[in-house]
Amino acid sequence: MIETSATSFAELFARIPKIVLFGVAALVQVALLTLMIIDRVQILREGTEVTLQTRPLDPRDLLRGDYVVLGYDISQLPAGSLLNQPTGTSNPMVFVKLAPNRDGLYEAVSVHADAVAVASPEVLIRGRVAHGATCGSSERAFCDKLQIRYNLESYFVPEGGGRKLEQARNQRKLTVVAAVLPSGRAAIKRLLVDGEPIYEEPWF
Amino acid sequence: MITPAALANIRVALPSRAPGTNIPVVVAIVGGLLIAAAFLAFVAAHWTDLARLVRLAILLAGIVGAHGLGAWFARAGRPVLADLCAGVGSIIFGAGIALVGQMYHLGGDFAGGMLLWAMGALVAAALTGSRGVLAVALVAASLWSSMRIFEIPDVPHFSFVAIWFIAAGLALAWNSRVAAHLVALAALPWWITTALQVGLEPSFVLADGAAFLFGAGLALGVAPWQRASSAGAVLSIYGAFSLAGVSILEVATANDLFRTHAGTVSQSLWAISSGVAGAIFAFAVATTTRRAGAAFAGIAIGLVLLAAAVWSTPQAGEPWRAYAFELCAMLCLVVSGMLDSTRPRIVAGWLGIAGVIVAITWAVKGSLLHRSMFLAVAGAVAIALSLALNRLLPRDHE
Repeated sequence: MIETSATSFAELFARIPKIVLFGVAALVQVALLTLMIIDRVQILREGTEVTLQTRPLDPRDLLRGDYVVLGYDISQLPAGSLLNQPTGTSNPMVFVKLAPNRDGLYEAVSVHADAVAVASPEVLIRGRVAHGATCGSSERAFCDKLQIRYNLESYFVPEGGGRKLEQARNQRKLTVVAAVLPSGRAAIKRLLVDGEPIYEEPWF
Repeated sequence: MITPAALANIRVALPSRAPGTNIPVVVAIVGGLLIAAAFLAFVAAHWTDLARLVRLAILLAGIVGAHGLGAWFARAGRPVLADLCAGVGSIIFGAGIALVGQMYHLGGDFAGGMLLWAMGALVAAALTGSRGVLAVALVAASLWSSMRIFEIPDVPHFSFVAIWFIAAGLALAWNSRVAAHLVALAALPWWITTALQVGLEPSFVLADGAAFLFGAGLALGVAPWQRASSAGAVLSIYGAFSLAGVSILEVATANDLFRTHAGTVSQSLWAISSGVAGAIFAFAVATTTRRAGAAFAGIAIGLVLLAAAVWSTPQAGEPWRAYAFELCAMLCLVVSGMLDSTRPRIVAGWLGIAGVIVAITWAVKGSLLHRSMFLAVAGAVAIALSLALNRLLPRDHE
């Protein structure tokens, strides 16, 4: 029964012209790549803009070409109420509530294991704990300090452009405007040096 | 002498040779690869000078071009070249994921990128029937799974199993031994990385995996459906070699120096069930088909599992019983292969015997004299058994 069905299905499949099958395969792969870009466009278009202060970091990673590694003041945070709470994984997802200070730069208010309601101008950004989720006897609890990644940590620049940005970053002159969706997903929208835009991310 | 007329008749009578991979095709493939490499080097040299949309267009054109060429070759009756082009298209797709991530600053979830690559390649494999693309999909899926296992080291990554079954389904649908080999091979990295997870005894989990692969392969091999039996035969080969490898590993890591767990390790139910299921499959095949070879395979599986279970319990001194179990298991594997006339299983068994003896001889712990005595006694028992069997069993030649 199964053999007959499979054989008839194979015969049916064999009747489809090869160009159609290969064409659909190419279309699927092109569509998946396009979806990656469209997903980012959605964040840039609909996300709330938050300005984040960068902080000095080690020099660039030579293995990944000319790009700037960005660290933020919100990258290292105290666990607060999450301290000693079970994590489930070594890199759990967390939500950080941000609020603007007097200079308009967004700062972390609190860290949460799940999404929480925020009131404007507060923004909730989603990140993944890179270090700080392997404490406790079971090594599966939040530590007192968390290092969090928001998918905003690398910015690829034209060759030779990285050095200038690194200098600005190390002098704390570099700020990043990120777009954040209500779900907490974020993307880099603009880079500012001394408050002046130097890189504006086009949608495509 | 063949007359021209006879030659013509022979040529007419014989089927025309399928356009396979001959020397001109091989030379053409090398030429194509060199041109592709030159193009890639040229694009790479000017990559950062190109506008982002131009870069994206090059990537998309690469995918469409490779698959388009594949379709052309498939239509022209050149399946090998069509397969190659589809494979190149899927590799460009994988590179595209990395480069789009770079161009649009999407770096972060590397494992997620691998999953996307695996999914795209798996769909392309299903549509084009390309074994090369299936290989790409399984490599990407294995990388994704390994990364996730190291992210969450105390929970097995069962999501990979779903992709593995889809790939197995494709191998069955294509009735392809190459695809069956790829699917069997893809099971190994998952078992190995899973065995290294926190709280598990690696050799026991690996033994369970080898047992399951071997037993399931034997069971599939006696299925009435030709496609299933062919795929089962391939799975059982990998299972036999895995069993031999695990057997050697168990003896080699028996020493306290290699033991990671000082106390008793609790084994997970899914791993134990897999091992037991493998043994049950083998004995079920032996019962239903009345084949002694399958019964010996079942005994080999059972002995390796038993040895692994013995090892899980901390003990003083050398594990002589476990050494004996492993030797018996490998001997059973050889006998099983001989009774079933399955050469790969015989080879796996002999390699297992050689490896186990080497591992016992070169064990760091304990007395070399004691191990020498053990091997001598084991050899004497084997010769006594041989003499007894020589009298009991009917002879082929007088």
